Amino acid sequence: MKESDLVIIGGGPGGVVAAMQAAKAGVKVTLLDENESIGGQIYRQLDKGFRVSDIDTLGSDHKKGLELVEQFSSMKDRIHYLNNAVVWGVFKNRTVAYARDGRSLALKFKTLLLATGAYDRPVPFPGWTLPGVFTAGGAQRLVKINRIFPGQNILLAGSGPLQLVLAHQIIKAGGRIVAILEAGNIRSHWFQGLKGIWGNWDFLKDGLKYLDSIRQADVPLLRGHIILEAQGNGSVEKALIAEVDQHWRPKPGTERTLTTDAICLGYGLVSSIELTLLAECEHGYDFSLGGYVPVRNENMETSIPGIYAVGDGAGVAGSKVAMEEGIIAGVSIAHAFNYISMNDKKRLLTPSLKRLKKINRFRKVLDQISKPRPGLYALAKDDTIICRCEEITLAEIKAAVAKGATCIKDVKRMTRMGMGSCEGRMCGPTLMEYLRILRQVPSEEIGLLRPRPSIKPIALGILAASNSGQKQG
Amino acid sequence: MQRADRRIHQGIERGEPFEMLVDGEKIRAYKGETVAAALIAAGLMTTRHTHKLEQPRGIYCGIGLCQECRMIIDGVPNTQACQTLATPGCQVERQPSNKRGDV
Repeated sequence: MKESDLVIIGGGPGGVVAAMQAAKAGVKVTLLDENESIGGQIYRQLDKGFRVSDIDTLGSDHKKGLELVEQFSSMKDRIHYLNNAVVWGVFKNRTVAYARDGRSLALKFKTLLLATGAYDRPVPFPGWTLPGVFTAGGAQRLVKINRIFPGQNILLAGSGPLQLVLAHQIIKAGGRIVAILEAGNIRSHWFQGLKGIWGNWDFLKDGLKYLDSIRQADVPLLRGHIILEAQGNGSVEKALIAEVDQHWRPKPGTERTLTTDAICLGYGLVSSIELTLLAECEHGYDFSLGGYVPVRNENMETSIPGIYAVGDGAGVAGSKVAMEEGIIAGVSIAHAFNYISMNDKKRLLTPSLKRLKKINRFRKVLDQISKPRPGLYALAKDDTIICRCEEITLAEIKAAVAKGATCIKDVKRMTRMGMGSCEGRMCGPTLMEYLRILRQVPSEEIGLLRPRPSIKPIALGILAASNSGQKQG
Repeated sequence: MQRADRRIHQGIERGEPFEMLVDGEKIRAYKGETVAAALIAAGLMTTRHTHKLEQPRGIYCGIGLCQECRMIIDGVPNTQACQTLATPGCQVERQPSNKRGDV
């Protein structure tokens, strides 16, 4: 079996920057990523087979992604890069297992860096399982990468800045947006906002650009509004919306219906922590960082020595933070292997630490504005599906609690919730919030959905082929 | 019902077009597109029906996590439409509720 000084899982901005930083110093790096090419969700490359005819219409992320790919390619003789590699387990003997080309293979590591990213926070409400309801991230991939509109009359619903980005991209491509529902009330936070924005002019410029294109396209930006229900026969045809108070609870009498064939939901992101959990790293709960996230020291090292975590997978904070954390982890790991001195480490890290401090100030404000309020988890009715895979309703969760379930593990055992093929990614974060509300206890008492290998559905045939793979590896 | 093509033509030129089949219905796809992208471009939103309640489901997360887009692609059940490239003549079937084949 092959062994690397450093195995990195995830080829988004955090993982890629860490790989380049560590490899530059001399560390032997292997980078595993499950996509065709590096970039992660934000810098995902266009579909192969497409030819770019006008790069300016594709937006700044496209250009930044190309730059990252170029930098990374220039180091290809120094980084062992495996694309289309789906990691399905991390084991105590310092081994990761992954599926690639129809086989399962294993890789030994001295240090491990997890840069697994994040995904849209799933928020159940009546009708959310209808075809035509997308996550904002999924819709963004369609528009940015596949160059396809999710629908002809698109409704955006959620909170926070990411949905403004999506709106801007749809408008720029010539799509039609029915309305943007922003559950929070941005205006009431303007003073706080100003404090955070001070010095973060890039963010401000981007934000104004998005708002400007929304205004110019005459798209209604409805602040303090939420989606109550997606309706339709077989797929989305209408959305029931309402005004909400500061707790995001609907104001009676304000309900109305919009005609739409595609609803894109963006209530912020949650971290992908399956691998840090499997590696038994200690986790702490922070709602605005995306729920449970691994605890880390200043070097981005988790509670398990030699296992590091960076980017959205270790606390949702966006690509700029991910890249700074990638630099910090890459340099720290190079130092741990004695490739660079303590002084060089300090010198290399100072600019990153400074930039992180500035970004964090802005982020805290955004988090505060877009942080989900209690009304969000009161949208589901008793017959609303909470676990999409096993088709478990809110009523079944309530029944399990009435029968004595106190934590996530109990509900899982009693209902099969979290045992389906998404491996609990879609229902886990929600179940945690519901249990907290139903039982009126802090999150620490609820526990979390512990993943088991394989954390991604891997066909049995591939697992069966693992032995031959290991011998070769 | 007439369905408009939802493809965006701005900024890019697509590669070779070809035909594929969705439950026997011919739709157009382009080289490099995923099965999910081709379906949505054609306005076909349903990918499968659930086992218990037999409800329709469609592409939801779009990034390979939620497993809602599992379809029978060229005879292989539980294949994620959002992670699988469309190929000329490929045969895609919506996964029915009675075919339980969890992996």
